[in-house]
Amino acid sequence: MIILEYFLLAGIIMCAAAAPLCKRLLSMVIVYMAFSLLMAVLWSLLQSPDLAITEAAVGAGVTSILFFLTLKKIHALKGTRDE
Amino acid sequence: MLETVLQNRFAVTAVILFGIGFTNLLLQQNLLKKVVGFNIMDSAVFLLLASLGYIEGGIAPIVGDRGFDPLYINPIPSGLVLTGIVVSVSITAFSLALIQRIYRHYGTIELRELLERAKKEED
Amino acid sequence: MNNSSEKQNWRKRIVSWVDGDREPKDQTLFVMERRQPRFPRPSEEEREKREKSHLKKFFNWYPIAATIICVSLIGILMAAALSMPTFGQADNPINNEVSEHYLEHGEEETGSANAVTAMILSYRGFDTLGESCVLFLAVVSVMMLLLRDEKNTDEHDLQKMRSEDIIAEEHHDIILKQAARFLVPCIFLFAIYVLLNGETSPGGGFSGGTILGAGLILFSSAYGPGNMRMILTYETYSAVRTFGLVLYITLYGAYIFIGANNLPNYLEGMTLLIDLAVGLVVACTVYGFYAMFARGEI
Repeated sequence: MIILEYFLLAGIIMCAAAAPLCKRLLSMVIVYMAFSLLMAVLWSLLQSPDLAITEAAVGAGVTSILFFLTLKKIHALKGTRDE
Repeated sequence: MLETVLQNRFAVTAVILFGIGFTNLLLQQNLLKKVVGFNIMDSAVFLLLASLGYIEGGIAPIVGDRGFDPLYINPIPSGLVLTGIVVSVSITAFSLALIQRIYRHYGTIELRELLERAKKEED
Repeated sequence: MNNSSEKQNWRKRIVSWVDGDREPKDQTLFVMERRQPRFPRPSEEEREKREKSHLKKFFNWYPIAATIICVSLIGILMAAALSMPTFGQADNPINNEVSEHYLEHGEEETGSANAVTAMILSYRGFDTLGESCVLFLAVVSVMMLLLRDEKNTDEHDLQKMRSEDIIAEEHHDIILKQAARFLVPCIFLFAIYVLLNGETSPGGGFSGGTILGAGLILFSSAYGPGNMRMILTYETYSAVRTFGLVLYITLYGAYIFIGANNLPNYLEGMTLLIDLAVGLVVACTVYGFYAMFARGEI
């Protein structure tokens, strides 16, 4: 279990460092989504299932949707119909 | 030294995450990247709080008749973080809405161009 | 040469700042007198040039200063983190009599087995009340920024929206629709389960509310705004949102009035209703964000 913990912590740091370094904004949001999912697993390892449920619904779901909609509004999504 | 780091691994991770988020918040030119940095900072604070309440070998604080007397983790940091996560979403939504309005007005979300255009418009 | 004149200029400014304004000439105060500007106004070009150089200087110095601040902050925080009490020990200062009380007496005092729910909805309900108000205000401010009305939309935007709607209707996404047909009932069921079982299992108002909001978002994006309006119009939306907050305030007021100050607590099942109120507020908040961001209207 403790090895899983180390893997998760390293993965979280890697995701957090990689997310803002991405060139494309879309990939940045997707890496941030992965960050949130790893965080949700970590909450359940820390024995707080309430936090895990909320983080999985909020961080990976709602926040990313809001980011995607903003990307669409500021015309940063390539390959969609409006371009 | 290494032993302390390994023992306090969650606090150390939280500090590193906070540093990454804060650096992005200050140094990125793109407003969206600043918002992501801000979110990472949020997560770091939550991680530190939740790890403070954890007790080795404890279980989730759902009290019930289990037939033995288990060790529960501290429920207070969990409750605080639970409210914090939801508030962080609303802050993210508000800042993204502001970014949309900025883009509609100035046509860019790069901070440098934005400041130059705003200066030009002021005159 | 230039340097010395600049120095003198500075001295002049400091002296005039110390001296303050000149005395008014006659005794009548508050006479709007158009004075000569103390320093000659720079011409337009000069001003622009100066401003450009200011910006340039700012952008040259800003990264260096920011890096120094970040590095020193991380150093200080790291030193603090390494001297914190050891992770996961039962005798850490945070595990004091407060949490013990919550764990031992929480179930009989509030009637909820989940200590986290008992804490955020009963012991510290005022916290959560303020937070519900924050969510309410967040939706209101996002609406202020993004709601579409006559003032901030022109004909071009409307036309673009209409053409987008037509395109979306012609090329409807079959994968999304079929997946939504299967997933939306499951998500709603799970959300209601989590919402209503906050007392005895992990979950409660916040988690259930966000899941419910995510289900509404999936429904809305799969079946379009027209179908969404059949189940949730703007009026219903505002009514539900306000109803959740008012229900919370009423219930919590009654809760304090009845149960505080060592008076016996007569209303055992109150946590469930408060949970429901919080869930409604959170779900409406999440869906409201999506609707504002996607279309600018509910």
